[in-house]
Order: sequence, then C-alpha cells, then structure tokens
Amino acid sequence: MIETRPPSVRVRELTRRFGEFVAVDRVSFDVRPGEIFGYLGANGAGKSTTIRILCGLLGATSGEARVAGVDVVHHAALVRSTIGYMSQRFSLYLDLTVRENLEFFGGAYGLFGAAFRARRDVVLRDLDLEALRDQLTGSLPAGLRQRLALACAILHQPRVVFLDEPTAGVDPDARSTFWRLIRALAAADTTIFVTTHYMDEAELCDRVGLMVKGRLAALDTPSGLKRSFVPGRMLEVHGVARDDLRRVTSGMSVREIEPFGAALHLRVPDDGPRVDDIRAALVAAGLSGVAVSDADVTLEDVFLRVVRDDGGAS
Amino acid sequence: MNRWIRRTKAVAYKELIHIVRDLRTLYLALGLPVVMLLLFGYAVSLDVDHIRLAVVDDDRTEASRQLSEALVAGSAFIRVATPATAEDAEALMRRGRIKAALIVPTGYQRTLARGEPTIAQLLVDGTDGTTATIAMGDAAGILQARQLAEMDPLHASFSDGPPIRARFNPGMRSSFVIVPGVIAMILSMASALLSALAVAREWERGSMEQLFATPVGRAEIIVGKLVPYTGVGLVQTLLVLTLGSIMFDVPIHGSLTTLFAASLLFLLCMLGFGLFISVATKSQIVSVQFALMGSMLPSLLLSGFLFPIYNMPWWLQAVSTAVPARYYIRALRGVLLKGNDLAILGPELLALAGFALGMLSLAVVRFRRRIS
Repeated sequence: MIETRPPSVRVRELTRRFGEFVAVDRVSFDVRPGEIFGYLGANGAGKSTTIRILCGLLGATSGEARVAGVDVVHHAALVRSTIGYMSQRFSLYLDLTVRENLEFFGGAYGLFGAAFRARRDVVLRDLDLEALRDQLTGSLPAGLRQRLALACAILHQPRVVFLDEPTAGVDPDARSTFWRLIRALAAADTTIFVTTHYMDEAELCDRVGLMVKGRLAALDTPSGLKRSFVPGRMLEVHGVARDDLRRVTSGMSVREIEPFGAALHLRVPDDGPRVDDIRAALVAAGLSGVAVSDADVTLEDVFLRVVRDDGGAS
Repeated sequence: MNRWIRRTKAVAYKELIHIVRDLRTLYLALGLPVVMLLLFGYAVSLDVDHIRLAVVDDDRTEASRQLSEALVAGSAFIRVATPATAEDAEALMRRGRIKAALIVPTGYQRTLARGEPTIAQLLVDGTDGTTATIAMGDAAGILQARQLAEMDPLHASFSDGPPIRARFNPGMRSSFVIVPGVIAMILSMASALLSALAVAREWERGSMEQLFATPVGRAEIIVGKLVPYTGVGLVQTLLVLTLGSIMFDVPIHGSLTTLFAASLLFLLCMLGFGLFISVATKSQIVSVQFALMGSMLPSLLLSGFLFPIYNMPWWLQAVSTAVPARYYIRALRGVLLKGNDLAILGPELLALAGFALGMLSLAVVRFRRRIS
C-alpha cells in the first residue's frame, strides 16, 4: 500500500549545539504514520536530544522539525496534546498508586468524567495492569513501571508516541511483552518513535536510523541496512584465532573477518566459500576443535560496520 | 478556561497526595510549627522574673524596711542576700551571684521625712543589658504603684512623674509581643521551605520533564502547587494561633476574618517566594538553604519582631520595607492586641497582597518550560 498521508514526523537539517559540542548535526528524515521508527546509537550519539526537540522540550539551533504537522521548533506548545512521551528516566510519581498516576496524567491531558474512566479502563486492560490498579507505583518492578509509563503516555490517544530507551534496565521477558504492546499500538495506526541500544529491539522496527556522533549515518529497513552495509553471506567461526583464520582463508574470496562476541564473523560474497570449504581448510591447516556455521547478518554487524566507516571518514 | 481549571486541579490533587503520603512534608507542615512555637515562646521570653537581689540596709528603719519589702513583694525580685556593706554587695555582683542590689544608707527615713531627694540606690548589673533594663523598669513600676496606692512617705522614690500605663498590654507581658512575631516567623519558614521543595523535587526526580511534555502550563503548575500548600498554611495558622493563645494567654481582640485574610496574603507571599527559589535553583538542597535564609533572617531581624525598626539605620529601614513579615506582624499585633480592623490595617494588607502578586508572577515568569 502506498502511503499518501503526510509524514507524522518530518525533520530537515536539524541541528542542536551545546556550546562547541554538536549533539545533533544536520539530521533529516521522515516517519510515516503508523510506522515503528527505531533510533539506534551509542550513548551520547544524539538520540535523546533529537527526541526532546521533537517533543518541544528543547530548542533547536537550526533546521526544521514537524510533528503531526506542527512546527515544534517554533510552536512547541501546540504539539503537546497530540504526542505521548516516555522519558529515558522513569518519571512517574512513586508515591502515587497506578490509578492515581493515570488520573493525574488524564487530568494533565484534559480528560475527565466518563470518557476518562472508559479510556483508563481500556488502557489498564490492554496493558494488563488491571490487577495492580491500587498498588503504589514505587512497589512495582521496573518492567511494570515501564508499562505504566506507557499507559500514561497513550491515555489521550496521541498520534505520535516518543519512547526514549523504554526498556533500559528491564528484564528480557518484560522487554518482549513491552514490544508486543508497541507493535499493537502501531497496528492501530499510532506512530512510534523509539530509541534503543538493543540490537534485537531494533530488528523489530519498520525502519532504523543509525546515529553516530550526532549524525544520521544510515536509515533503512533492518534488512535493507544489512543488504547495503553488509552484503553477501555471513559465516560464524568458533575456536580459532583471528590471525590463524586470516592465514588459512587467504586464498579464498573473503571480504572481512570481524570479532563477534567470543566468535569470529567471516563475511563472504554470495558465491564465496561455504561452511564445508572453510571447515576443510581449517582441518587441512591442522587446526582442530573449531566450529563453523552459517550465521545471520545482524544489525550489530551493520552497526559495527557503520561506526568503523565513520571513524575512518572523520 | 475549563481545561485550565481541570489541569490545575489535577496538579493540585496530585500535590495533595504527595503531602499526605510524605512524612517529611507532614512534619515540616505541622510538627515544625509546634516545635518552633514552644522553643520561641518559652526561650525567647523577654519577661524577667526572680531577679536575684541583695539588700544592704544601713538605715534599719520602718521606711527602709517598707522599701525593700515592696521590691520583693511581687515575683520580679527575690532577696537572696543581705550583705553588711555596699562593697560586699558589689563583690557578689562581680561574681554573678546577684543581678541587683538595694543600698539604703543611714538617714534614709530622715531625709525622706524632710522631703529631700532619696539617698537610697538600686544598682543593677549592666553587663546583662536586657535584665538591667527590665529590672529598672520593674523597680520603677513597683515603687510608683506603691506611691499611687498609699501616697505615703515614699513619694520621693525613684519614680516621680506622671503615672504610666502600658495600653493594649497592661501587664507588659512580653509573650503578647513575641507570639505574633513567632507566628510570622513560623509561617514564613514553614511555607517557604515546603514550596521550595515542591518544584525542585520534580526537577530532581525527572518528573518535570514528563510534565513539560503534557499540555500543563507554567502557571497551572505554580497555581496547582500553591493551592494545597495554602491549605496546609491555613491549618498551620490555625494551629499556631490556637496554641499561642492557649499556652501564652495571647488575646484575640480583633476579627478572625481580618486575621485570616492577613494570614492568607502572607502565606501567598512566602509560598510564592519558595516557589520562585525552587524554580530558579532546580535543586532541593540549594533551595532549602535559600528558603531558610530568605525567610527566617528577615522575619527575625528586619520585621520589628525583636528589634524596633525605628532604631535601625536608614538604609536598613529601607530594606525592611521589602520584608513582608514586617507588615504581617503589624497586622497580627493590631488584630490580636488592639482589636484593629480592615479600616486601620488596610495599608498592611494591601502591601502583603502586592508582595504576594509580585512573588507569584516572578515565579511563573522565571519558570522555564524547556529543559536545558
């Protein structure tokens, strides 16, 4: 389906400086309605700064930023009722119960009466928080707190939701629950703008923007990023040193060998050596106890590649 | 307008929950005023009772006995020694054993009978200024009262002159003077401290950022926080006034309406002051220090609570006109002791209203919505 509606978020040449430091450097992108847009990058790469500008919390030094059609650089106040925001730091009130937090944010967004109660009950049910409604927020584990924060951010049915590292410090189980909720929201045509430094979460996004030192170094779907930055196939080799592997495979068409956790990732062209070829070569060279397998190209491979290229460029 | 009220109400309700659930806030709001009232009410008493007196009576006559008996008849003086000579009395005073000495030389009754000026002396220890002043005043009062009552041979005592009465506080009870000042100081400290924490806490916990992403505006946050704290302040006022009048017998001659109107305006001043600090510093520790200094010192030193303003150098007098407690204390003393009403206290209330409006506007204007 071709999207004909205007973009939910439109950013052009957006720049933010803090003194000499350029936190966001001439960034441009569009986010489509109902899209899950992931913003991936190391700490200090400019992710939070971008989100804060888009939510009207921080001014821009130059450039243009529109959210739901509103110019947030100049008219930040107008956008607040149409966006939801979950800041990086948990910032609900711990001495209020789940219900009281929802009541407060409902009131803050101008919801009241029967309409508010109906909406509150829907959100409590959708996010599976009904049983906890009278619990003090401070007594909830991190995963549930994040779910409540999401509930407060979507009470007023915003068109765009900004989530700044929503799953930081949350256990894997709660993270996957959280992402199920995010996908459900997007399916209901809410635009999601989410920052993360978890690669597996970035895989769940429709498109991913890679931030490196304030610049948007790459932007595409996860598979598109893999194709263009890490073309070919990936093989994973365990139990051998990088120099040995390089020596053994020197006669083959191998593009690069990169450390990947405890293993090595061997990138080869589509018509390059297969798992058996590599294994045979290692055995022939007298290296035993090695394991070779096919591996998927991950966004981490992309990320490492982009960061390295960027380091070379600057 | 409707939305404005709804959002303000949401902030106010949330703030009320914070107050009720936080022991520290509750203590600041209700415990601290009581503790301070007790401390100040009893410790900062300017009444001096049981001044230790030595009597050296060389005259040993009816008149000399009457004189010394008159001094110790009340509770102001208590006779602790009867040294043989004036030198011995002086030695006792040097060692701090006595604060005053009555010296009656031989011939006292005779000179009195002849209508000559008295030759008796009351010596007081001038190193303790407050006691000395009060001892002299007390002695003069006692002897004058005696003279008025009996018109006896003592007519030529220390205190010739027109009869003096302290209007509005006939017993010259210092608690009548102090309690209004203490009330002003307690209210200014407690409310400035509470509101100073209110905004800074949200900055520190990160909830301010979340709040700024909602349509809630600056004035809504300020007013929303102001409402519950004003309520707390009025409870404090009631508490301190009730305790003050019960424990220290302070009368309430004037109208309670005027009293609460003045208190409400004063509370708004000090809450506005606290909010302004909170908004400007964004840190709980820093704003508590500013709030304490900015509320306690001026209301203690520059308000006329302990030290008369007309005795200050002109520039300090000028500074004191910017201290809201000055107007509040005048209003309190006016209502409590003199029974004054709005007709007389109008200027004070107007000044307080002006300060309140100014402080709150300053807090709203200084409140930056954007994080930096």
